[in-house]
Amino acid sequence: MTPAGSLLLIAVVLTDFAVLATSRLSTGIRTIGLQGLLLAALPVALHPAWSLHTAALAVGTALVKAGILPRFLNWAIREANVRREMEPLIGYGASVLLGAAAVGVAFVVAPALPLPDGRGSLLVAAALANVLAGLLVLTTRRKALTQVVGYLMLENGVFVFGLTQTEQVPFLLELGVLLDVFVGVFIMGIVVFHINREFDSISSARLEELKDI
Amino acid sequence: MTTLLAGLSVVLLGGLAAVILARWPRWAASVHRIATGAGALVALVSPLKVLGGAHLPTLTLPTNVPGGAWTFGLDALSAWFLIPVLLAGTAAAIFGTSYLAGQEEEGSVPRAHLGMAVLLVALGLVLTAQATLAFLASWEVMALAGYFLVVFEDRRPEVRRAGMVYLIATHAGTLLLVVVFGLWGNRAFDLSFASLAHAAPALGSLHAVLLTLGLLGFGLKAGFVPLHFWLPEAHAAAPSHVSAIMSGVVIKTGIYGVLRLLVLLGAPPPWWSFGVLLLGVCSGVLGVLWALAQHDLKRLLAYHSVENIGIILLGLGAGALGLSYRSPLLAVLGFLGAVLHVLNHALFKSLLFLQAGSVLRATGSRELEHLGGLGRRMPLTWLGFVVGSAAIVGLPPLNGFVSEWVVFQALFSAGSSRTPASLALFGAAALGLVGGLALACFAKVCGSVFLGHPRTPAALAAREVGPGFWGPAAVLAAACLVVGVMPWLAIGPAVRVAGQLAGVPWARAAALTRPARDAAQQIALLAALLAGTVAVLAMARTWALRRAGAVATSETWACGYPRTSARMQYSASSFAAPLVALFGPLAGVVVHRRADGFATHPVNLALERILVPLWEATQRASARIRPIQHGRLQLYLLYIVATVALLLFYLAASGGKP
Amino acid sequence: MTSWLCFGLALVLAPLLPGVAQRTKSWLTGRRGPPVLQLYWDLARLWRKGAVFSSVAGASFRLGPVVFAASGVAAAMLLPFANNPALIRFPGDFVAFAGVLALGRFALVLAALDTGSSFEGMGASREAAFGSLSEPVLVLCFAALALASQELSLSGMLGPALPSWWAAGPALAMVGAGVFLVTLAETGRVPVDDPATHLELTMIHEVMVLDHSGPDFALIHYAAALKLTLLGTLLAGVLVPAGQAAAVVRIAGWLGGLLALAVAIGVVESVMARLRLARVPQLLTSAAVLPGFAIILLLSRAA
Repeated sequence: MTPAGSLLLIAVVLTDFAVLATSRLSTGIRTIGLQGLLLAALPVALHPAWSLHTAALAVGTALVKAGILPRFLNWAIREANVRREMEPLIGYGASVLLGAAAVGVAFVVAPALPLPDGRGSLLVAAALANVLAGLLVLTTRRKALTQVVGYLMLENGVFVFGLTQTEQVPFLLELGVLLDVFVGVFIMGIVVFHINREFDSISSARLEELKDI
Repeated sequence: MTTLLAGLSVVLLGGLAAVILARWPRWAASVHRIATGAGALVALVSPLKVLGGAHLPTLTLPTNVPGGAWTFGLDALSAWFLIPVLLAGTAAAIFGTSYLAGQEEEGSVPRAHLGMAVLLVALGLVLTAQATLAFLASWEVMALAGYFLVVFEDRRPEVRRAGMVYLIATHAGTLLLVVVFGLWGNRAFDLSFASLAHAAPALGSLHAVLLTLGLLGFGLKAGFVPLHFWLPEAHAAAPSHVSAIMSGVVIKTGIYGVLRLLVLLGAPPPWWSFGVLLLGVCSGVLGVLWALAQHDLKRLLAYHSVENIGIILLGLGAGALGLSYRSPLLAVLGFLGAVLHVLNHALFKSLLFLQAGSVLRATGSRELEHLGGLGRRMPLTWLGFVVGSAAIVGLPPLNGFVSEWVVFQALFSAGSSRTPASLALFGAAALGLVGGLALACFAKVCGSVFLGHPRTPAALAAREVGPGFWGPAAVLAAACLVVGVMPWLAIGPAVRVAGQLAGVPWARAAALTRPARDAAQQIALLAALLAGTVAVLAMARTWALRRAGAVATSETWACGYPRTSARMQYSASSFAAPLVALFGPLAGVVVHRRADGFATHPVNLALERILVPLWEATQRASARIRPIQHGRLQLYLLYIVATVALLLFYLAASGGKP
Repeated sequence: MTSWLCFGLALVLAPLLPGVAQRTKSWLTGRRGPPVLQLYWDLARLWRKGAVFSSVAGASFRLGPVVFAASGVAAAMLLPFANNPALIRFPGDFVAFAGVLALGRFALVLAALDTGSSFEGMGASREAAFGSLSEPVLVLCFAALALASQELSLSGMLGPALPSWWAAGPALAMVGAGVFLVTLAETGRVPVDDPATHLELTMIHEVMVLDHSGPDFALIHYAAALKLTLLGTLLAGVLVPAGQAAAVVRIAGWLGGLLALAVAIGVVESVMARLRLARVPQLLTSAAVLPGFAIILLLSRAA
């Protein structure tokens, strides 16, 4: 693990905390964009030997994760007149503390996980931390749009996880970027079906009404 | 050992004499006071000798009951726990003679004195018993004496209810202990502690079961979360000097029991040690949060006992981790912190309860919102209370600081241990939070009871109590100061106890704690410099004011509003409001917000939210399975998270071989 | 010897820091601002003045400022300035450092409550609440430092045993950020408290000392500046790598760090507004997460 690589990974985890702590949707989206940028730099930092493959991967990731998706999300906010708050189910302080606990769990568990790669458990830990923080956002935020943010974090975790396996499965990362297309479809679907409505009305809490009594 | 028993006999005889002389209450009180004081002084000789390194012969009573001979003996652990019994317990008993004088329950006062004497003797026997039956018998006498003292004012229904809850809790604990010793005794030659310890290495899986059941059984006496449900009510309902001995001394027998169990059973498994640490964190944080939401002075102090038991458990957990992971340094430091805090908490908590008793006698109220301004009217009581407050908050240069300092060191050295025990480091953050919250809580108490305007006529009319009240308190306050300024006096003997608990010879324990013992002198230096700076600055300030000459007295500045009244002061509930608002959901605090007032009440979570509903829940168990299907997306996702986390742990634990 | 010199320097230079912060703020908002030495003049003026005491207030009110100031001096004795060993040092002295500062806070809160004023009660309540939240943050910072240096005393933690930036950069940076946030909260600075506000209802520290005047007020002002210097020294100890350099260089690094902190506070105060009171705990929670994460990193590296 190069020092630059560990620095980037730590910064990625810190952006998770930032998403958990912020009350504004736009800050959350900007932070996710920043996280994408950090992730784009990761393959370069981890494989100091330059190759066209890593360069293309970095540029592509940056373009999708830090460029297109944040813009897309912001467009969705404008388009559907979403209120600018995160509307969490639990307090921000509690979210951050739970996030810290999740990160702790990730770092405790990571070194003991049976992975074929000995390239340092920091990568695995950061990936797990990202996945858990993403799941936390998914479970504790009410709006559909914040669920997209949570899904993005989760997916970024999968991306980092893919980095541990690049030697064995070289195309894993490209597949990971493909997942972003799914995010796009996710947002498009929501926007197209509810283009004139507030997102609040499709709050996932309303799904509760579906249960049989 | 005989000196100890002789001293305790004198105490007991004093109690009996009080009952015989019941028709002359003054004489009864005097005899009880003198006998308790003299008896305790005599009894103190034996534990001090043992802590100095002497070995005293044990006393064996041959009996015909099964379970072997009844043996009583003193080792370092017993001797250490006897010190608070004989210091704080005696101070409380002597305070009680003044406190109960001239009470409505005149007739029963001498019997209360006898109860106190019996309680002290039973405590002494519990701590020295080295055979199961003797131990359990003394344990039961102690519990019953405590019960009769708690229900002293049994005219009041809430006192009777508190007594009943206490009685049920203590007997549930005893039942668990019977199970523990029964299971264990099956594998041993007889029920003496020596043969039980002899059988310990061959217990196998029973080892962990006994430790856990023992922790629960003794925990009901120690009162840590969630087994604390009886404690605040019982301690608040008892007369103040009884509260002092119950909170300061009696609950420590629960800690003694856990420690004795560790000595007899040997190193616990890591999960047990982590469990103790976690219980410590929960007790510490929740105890102080409940105290913050409280505005009954004595109940507030009782909740602080839950908090301080938490601090003791943090030390105990660190020590147990040291045993689990075979790190003698960690074990010695952790147990050192725990036993030091046992002594210190006994001193300052008894002091605080005695001062609360003085306030109650002087004003007839223990409701924070009805007091105020007592500092000017009762300066000695105020001085004692502020010393106790600073000590319980852990401020230098008082004794509470010393033990928290050692517990912090234990947790920090756990952090550097390069074993899984290093997770204990996060306990230090909890300890820091507890200290900060305790400061807020005691600032609230001091402010609303002793500072500002009196809020009621009763508080306005309060007068300082007599020497029978502040005398015993002064002794305890002095002890707090002495331990705080000269920590080596307590640390030296405590190292012997910690060494016994950690299973290392005294010389090794002394070598391991060398830095801490050397540091004690630096703490004394710091205290001296602090006091010196205060003195110099105070003189400089007085000199500057005298030179300026223009010192005026006026109304308190209320930002231009001229007619302030006592009712406009910040109330205790308002003072705690920011923290209660923040932590209320965590601690289960009910907030009453009306136009004419603001008040907070902690919910007795364990009793009202766990025990009572548990009973109801078992009856409706089948009907309760369905709500898993809640229909909430977040909930389902949460199930997934939980499952993923569990699987991860399983993978990690199994090392990749599913 | 150098330790004594630095101790003296800290005591003498303490009132300079608020002046620098104020000057930065004025400069950034296009004003000239008061002289950098303003606090010295204020202290001298207050010390010469008489005082007005409330008829309600007693000994706690009069002793509070004295104990507050004395606790600052005692804390200064426990702190290693410019990587010189502290005057008093022992394993676990960080507990004493936090404890002495808490003693000062306790004394000041009691002094405020002694006036029986609702305003001062309010300030005291907030001070106690936020103080209790910054305590665990400080402990976590010390824990991270202890873990990084394998030392149990402040002089050891901030001494040569502290790993270099190259070895533990991210952890040190996060600890530094945690200490910085604690400094802002503990010394009543934006975004937790606004030293320049004029509305009593929104104040914390200032409203708590509303009734103090004359020499007592001077002591409080001085001790508050000293507290800022002490926490700043802690921050400089974490962030300024001095190692084995010559004494002069280390002292220069320390003073430079303090100056940078004052400027940073001025910058924060000119670019940020105060947080709503309900948001302050959230800030402190985030502040706790930073050193907590540093500890996780250090632990996972050690394992």
